[in-house]
Amino acid sequence: MSDKTEAQQQSGVDLKLRGFKYAQAKQPILKDLELALRPGTLTVITGSSGSGKSTLGAILAGMLPRPGLDSLDATLVVDGQTVEHTAVSSPRIDTSAWAQHIGFLPQDPGEYLSGIRETVKEELVFSLENRGMPREMMEARLQSVVNQFGIAHLLNRDPAKLSGGQERLVALAALVMNDPQVLVLDEPLAGLDSVVRKAVLKTISSLTMTEKTVVVLVREPIQLSTQADEVFCLTDNTLASGIRTGAPRKVDDAWTKVEAYARPTSEILLSFQTVSVGYGKNSPPIVENFSLDVRAGECVELTGPNGSGKTTLLKSAAGLIVPMRGNLSRNGKVGMLLQNPNDQLFERTVRRDVGYGLPKGRRSASKIEEVLEQLALTDLSDVHPYELPMSKRKLVALAGVLVHEPDILLMDEPEETLDQRDALTLGSAVQTHTDSGGSVLLTVHNAKK
Amino acid sequence: MPFFQKLHPFTVLSVAIAIVAVTTAIGNVWVSLAVIVLCLAASAFAGKILKLVALSAAIVLPAFASQLLIHGLASSGSLKLTAEGLSTATALGLRTAVLVVAGLLCALIIDRHQLVAAIDLSKAPPQLGYLVAATLFLLPQLAERQKIIGEAQALRHVHFRRGIVGWFQKARMQAVPLVLSSLEETSKRAPHLAARGFPANTRMSRLRTVPDSRVQRAIRVSALVLALIGPVLILIGLQFGAVA
Amino acid sequence: MSPNLILAEEHAGSTLRRNLLAVAGTLLLVATYAALVITQPTNLTDGLGQGVALATFAAYLLAALLLLAAVLPDLPVSTLTLIPVALALNILLGQFVGSVMVPLYLDSIGTVLVGFLAGRRAGAATGVLGTLIWSLFAPTVLPFAAGAALVGFLAGTAARFGAVRRVYLAPIAGLVSGVLVGVVSAPVAAFVFGGTSGVGTGAVVAAFRSMGDSLLSAVTKQALISDPGDKAIVFLIAALLVYALPGRLSHSYEFVRRYKVLGKRGAKQSA
Repeated sequence: MSDKTEAQQQSGVDLKLRGFKYAQAKQPILKDLELALRPGTLTVITGSSGSGKSTLGAILAGMLPRPGLDSLDATLVVDGQTVEHTAVSSPRIDTSAWAQHIGFLPQDPGEYLSGIRETVKEELVFSLENRGMPREMMEARLQSVVNQFGIAHLLNRDPAKLSGGQERLVALAALVMNDPQVLVLDEPLAGLDSVVRKAVLKTISSLTMTEKTVVVLVREPIQLSTQADEVFCLTDNTLASGIRTGAPRKVDDAWTKVEAYARPTSEILLSFQTVSVGYGKNSPPIVENFSLDVRAGECVELTGPNGSGKTTLLKSAAGLIVPMRGNLSRNGKVGMLLQNPNDQLFERTVRRDVGYGLPKGRRSASKIEEVLEQLALTDLSDVHPYELPMSKRKLVALAGVLVHEPDILLMDEPEETLDQRDALTLGSAVQTHTDSGGSVLLTVHNAKK
Repeated sequence: MPFFQKLHPFTVLSVAIAIVAVTTAIGNVWVSLAVIVLCLAASAFAGKILKLVALSAAIVLPAFASQLLIHGLASSGSLKLTAEGLSTATALGLRTAVLVVAGLLCALIIDRHQLVAAIDLSKAPPQLGYLVAATLFLLPQLAERQKIIGEAQALRHVHFRRGIVGWFQKARMQAVPLVLSSLEETSKRAPHLAARGFPANTRMSRLRTVPDSRVQRAIRVSALVLALIGPVLILIGLQFGAVA
Repeated sequence: MSPNLILAEEHAGSTLRRNLLAVAGTLLLVATYAALVITQPTNLTDGLGQGVALATFAAYLLAALLLLAAVLPDLPVSTLTLIPVALALNILLGQFVGSVMVPLYLDSIGTVLVGFLAGRRAGAATGVLGTLIWSLFAPTVLPFAAGAALVGFLAGTAARFGAVRRVYLAPIAGLVSGVLVGVVSAPVAAFVFGGTSGVGTGAVVAAFRSMGDSLLSAVTKQALISDPGDKAIVFLIAALLVYALPGRLSHSYEFVRRYKVLGKRGAKQSA
């Protein structure tokens, strides 16, 4: 017979963190912060990439510290149970039981999905299946969550073939299926178009209405800040309370500036004339009768929804795919940055990776240093590329393209996964490239207004 | 095809085990041939006969060639073709063929998702279903990624040296990104799988239903009993026949 | 009442059960092998031959399954998610490497990788699982599951005792493992199938046979020609791959940290 306030206290989360350090790090990434999360509230935590947002989320989710590796000095009160971590020893957490109380949706929703189920419906009930819930109960739970999210039309789809927005909705729904009291969402709105964005926002507010505790981790303060009960900013490894920053500087600015440098009278470096491209002779072309001239000093953006053939066009420009019909001419050396930098990286250090394939000698060495400097990677040149966050990896991959001094630079979704500072670095590199008479053709996922 | 969909995957497998065990024990050329024809007929019924023939041939033919070389040609101590050796090789070839054709027939008619669900619902450790499913679905994904990596490397304008050094460079450029990215992905995925209750510490349930019936259960039990006892009885019978 | 958030310590009873399973599997394997070597059944296709074939098939498969049952419940989730990737790598890297090079199988790179990163139990489990899944595409591999388990087990053992601390030690460990694996797998080829899976290896066996060897010793000699070289290359490739991993990743495996699998280089990285 506990009274309501006490029950609320118990079902929330209290975190008193004195320090958290990753296994191989020299400095703690988080220190001296306190959080008290209460039912029915929305807490927004902002912070730039690398500020430790996701780390904080994973600590709340009981996924960090990894036993024997990281060191966490903190006291957590979860569901009325006190869990004490000290810098030298941490209790072994039952992540599964923990997740029934605090659910964590990672930045990349694909990581949350099991990836082994045939349909979205089965993916949604994955955790219920693991807990042995009877089929009728699963059906009922599924029904209510599907209604809440409005995803009935996706139920029989293959989870691997969803669009980015659909995947995020499904992952969020899968998280809610578990019915945790606290939901920690890492960048829940990143890369979503306005329709899905609205759906996610609606879900978040409906969750707080039903006395759930919601924590949202974001890079930039968003619309959410107005609904939030509390907004924190993660800077200098700790939480600054109550700071509501102004309108964010839009990453787009770097691009608009570059586009202004187009010089329509200069030499044509890349030319598509009524080009049709596709994969294989038996399948219909993905892009038909596409014509475009890219001139020296010009930066051209290809926009369009997923599946419209942007990547296919870039690959044909790079010579990876031979057009089925039409004329494609390149007047210069081509370099291409792929969407996923991981596919391009394979050496043990950034410097070696960037320099791979260059002839040995002083000239190459100075060229490498020059490119590293240009992309602000000099300090990272002895690090394994896979030790870096995705944002930096993309710059490393770009450096590997730029050392070959291409005239035509092709970039597939370069902005994706780039944080604000790296996007600016990329922007200025693109500008240098166009200034020196090169041309750029890139794809952008979301058409900008 | 609807007929096979009504079967529990384990029913198909246990019947196949019984057939292979008994046929192997009998070891008669005509019985083996009859079983192979029967399997081919079943695959034709399921509309997969061409696939079955192609897949089986790819395994059986080299194995049979090896058996021919070893027994037909080189029967202990000499290198000449003997009738006895030839019949040994034929018997061995048919033994292999029965296993391959029956096994591949199972693989072709059992739906993979149904198989995983059946494993999940069985008494097998809960890890097994995940491992089978994840491997089967990762394979095409990683194959696709390998193709993309190949393209990425082609874009880096790297020229390989000829011979073994070039081959090694090429292999490294293919393998390292594939291994790095897939290992990183799994290490990121693992905590979320654990959070979603994997591996289950109770008996799992599945939303998907796997068709089953009393008759099928009876068939499974009798097939497994037959697979165990049948060969023993047959072999005893054969011994007595040989003595008499 | 909400579930307990902290994991309980393991019961000694369940570890005992698993150890018993592992012992039973190993004994079955050893006993079957010993029985085959001692009795050396000569006739492959009369009544007795069929019995030997079935019994060998069943015993080798059962031994592998017992070993799998013994180790599977022990594996942490990070290893369980590693295994499917390793199995896919077995096939993909095997195809890629195998298509260019001399006739070696090179189909166990992933299994050895798991052994190096997650230890011998995980390696053995990977070997058995890989065979079970591969049998959906090629049923004849099924009785070789025990040999595949041995590959993973030996890779883990080698890593534990420092064979990956120096790159040049890895192929030596592979060579030794190849000898053991070849010897253990030979009876399956000899008594279940009466031959090998391909023409090239078949010709080698035929050559030994024509020189008067028994079937088992001919197949064993052939295995001793192919397997050690194959495993030496596989161990070397797997070691190079482990060295290509960033320390953050390789050191997330407890096995790598506890037994200092990567030696000084790894220690330097974690400092």
